[in-house]
Amino acid sequence: MNKKMTAVIRREYITRAKTKGFIIGTLLFPLIVGLILGGVFIFMVLFKPSTKTYALVDQSGVIGQTFQNMLDDTLSNGEPKHRMILTEMRIPLDSLLANLQNQVRDKKLDGYLVIPPDILETREVIYSARNVSDFEEQGDFSGVLSYIVGNLRLENQGLPADRIRQEMSRSRVRLISRQITDKGEIEKNAASSFILAYILTYMMLLLMMGYGQTLMRSVVEEKTQRITETIIASIRPRDLLLGKMIGISALGLTQLFVVGVIMMLLVQFIQPVLVNLGLQSPGLMAVIKQIHFTVPLFGFMIVFFLLGYFFFSGLFAGIGAMVNTEDEGQQYQMPIIFLILIGYFMMFAIARHPETPMAFWTSLIPVFTPMVMFARIAVSDPVLPSGTWISLGVMVLANFLLIRIITKVYRVGILMYGKKPSFREALKWIRYK
Amino acid sequence: MNVLEVQSVTKRFSALLAVDRLSFSIQEGRVFGLLGPNGAGKTTTIRMIMHIIIPDEGKVSVLEKTDPVETTNLIGYLPEERGLYRKMKVGDILFFLCSLKGLSRSDARPRIDSWLERLDLLDWKNKKLEELSKGMQQKLLFIGTVIHDPKLLILDEPFMGLDPVNTQIIKDILLEQKKRGTSIIFSTHLMDNAEKLCDDILLINHGRDVLSGKLSEVKNRFGRKNIIMEFDGDDAFLQKIPGIIRVNHYGRASEIVMDKSADPQQILKAAAKNVAVRKFEIKEPSLNDIFIETMKSRKDKTA
Repeated sequence: MNKKMTAVIRREYITRAKTKGFIIGTLLFPLIVGLILGGVFIFMVLFKPSTKTYALVDQSGVIGQTFQNMLDDTLSNGEPKHRMILTEMRIPLDSLLANLQNQVRDKKLDGYLVIPPDILETREVIYSARNVSDFEEQGDFSGVLSYIVGNLRLENQGLPADRIRQEMSRSRVRLISRQITDKGEIEKNAASSFILAYILTYMMLLLMMGYGQTLMRSVVEEKTQRITETIIASIRPRDLLLGKMIGISALGLTQLFVVGVIMMLLVQFIQPVLVNLGLQSPGLMAVIKQIHFTVPLFGFMIVFFLLGYFFFSGLFAGIGAMVNTEDEGQQYQMPIIFLILIGYFMMFAIARHPETPMAFWTSLIPVFTPMVMFARIAVSDPVLPSGTWISLGVMVLANFLLIRIITKVYRVGILMYGKKPSFREALKWIRYK
Repeated sequence: MNVLEVQSVTKRFSALLAVDRLSFSIQEGRVFGLLGPNGAGKTTTIRMIMHIIIPDEGKVSVLEKTDPVETTNLIGYLPEERGLYRKMKVGDILFFLCSLKGLSRSDARPRIDSWLERLDLLDWKNKKLEELSKGMQQKLLFIGTVIHDPKLLILDEPFMGLDPVNTQIIKDILLEQKKRGTSIIFSTHLMDNAEKLCDDILLINHGRDVLSGKLSEVKNRFGRKNIIMEFDGDDAFLQKIPGIIRVNHYGRASEIVMDKSADPQQILKAAAKNVAVRKFEIKEPSLNDIFIETMKSRKDKTA
């Protein structure tokens, strides 16, 4: 790094860091992240689903009553989770179902279940509802129904009923998730690791996209205001570009640091604060306890942010050098933004299954690496997922190659005005001496 | 020692031959006019001197150095299309330009203040560039070009956007720089300015040297001198004098077009005998005339 590049870095950083926009943004950024985080907490803790009402049509006549009794789960406010209305079959099934469907449409019922006469043989129950997306509820229903059907089948084979009930009630299993790490096991559930990965990756996305575009606008400004003409005699284009990239990356790093430190302090000290304010709730405390925002994780976040930022901002700078106005730049940047967003959306699926071959290979594709690989690290933390170091190496290499190409495009593009070049012409620039 | 030495440089852009085996050199303390019509290759030549683009063939050296790292700080460049960061403060801009030229903080500060004072901009030091008038911005850009005491100044249309008062201030500074031994490349379309400032000229077209040398020699070589004479009487006597190509009559005045063999003193003596002379002026061909004539004859040749 030479003195001239340092001058560019300083200018890019200081002129922006001194603006009101940046200062306010830096202070607001943790607030926004905090609000998202807080919002998720509040949602998880305070969200109270209301009691759902179902009609139960029991054609077998042997299950309905037990089913109704066994669904004794309650909501956090003490209300029952489900209310089953046992419907007698006084009219033909077809008209009964038509009637129930109307009630569902009129929102008097949330849905209905139909138990066939030969349930013990078919083992199929129809569950019809306005909304069938509640996996947890369906799991509950299916579990309870299986239990009852199992009981009845055993009873039919001659085992005494009370004995079956006794054995079965001792057979219900609850899963407690723990993660195996080098330092032993920690209690951690899927939800909190996923939420953390989601929030951190989202921060990375905002910073990479935001500062990539800042760089592009800055390149376009220098070009349209003919600043490049003025200063290019004093500094090599490569040094100018790298100086700009580094200077602007430092803005992102500043914000990342502020947010990171605030988040760490928050996780560390929020429990006593909440207790003092009388706001503690067991659910909330459990969630906070399970947020593991560690220093190594923060380190990986910075590394992947920088690698991702340099990669994408290289592309943004290349576009900035090719176009003549900011508007043109806006159009041309769309493919890059799509790439970033694809990586972000893939991250959702991959964070749930961080050790699949798909997850492994996707994290080796440079446009996806920053977010996908980082999200895998975040959900697996403190264990490193497979391919962490390989993906880091690939990303460093990709950056190295991309910046070599982009400097050549940049060098020619910043002094070209008028018609914007086709992609093919821009490729030719790479070969210019 | 030549401050700048350009040896047979050539630059091609795909099919276009922008500069074709161009050679010239500039001595210390001389003003060198780089002239030519639009698209002649002036900017490409300048960019090669600045190492912004690399010649396909040939060599450029500044004070016998060819490494761009060593030469860029010796040069001050004012491009024709020029601008600076609109949102930055005047003082910060100059400090940035100084650091790009390798000046340290302690070296830059006093220079910035003294130049701002000299060009009457000191009150604007903490104002943003966008608050300055066009003329003030041009002056600021000029400061940025000379603030590091370059050995070679390359100025592309330096008087653009300046009023007569500021034009004079800049001209004075250029003459002062010249006295200090700074060489100046002066690229312009305005032949009037070039004629007054340049010691040497190079006229290029299609990237080639069309006309070059000391300005006085170029004018001599161009050969023709005209006489403007205002008089009362009959100028028929002129027909007997050798060396006169033709006479353009304008009523009470005549323009006498001569070749090299004609002697203006002889014409004056003859005129005094034959008519009442009110004005007698030997007119050198202007650079503008030479420019236009040269371009025209070139065109005729290629046509």
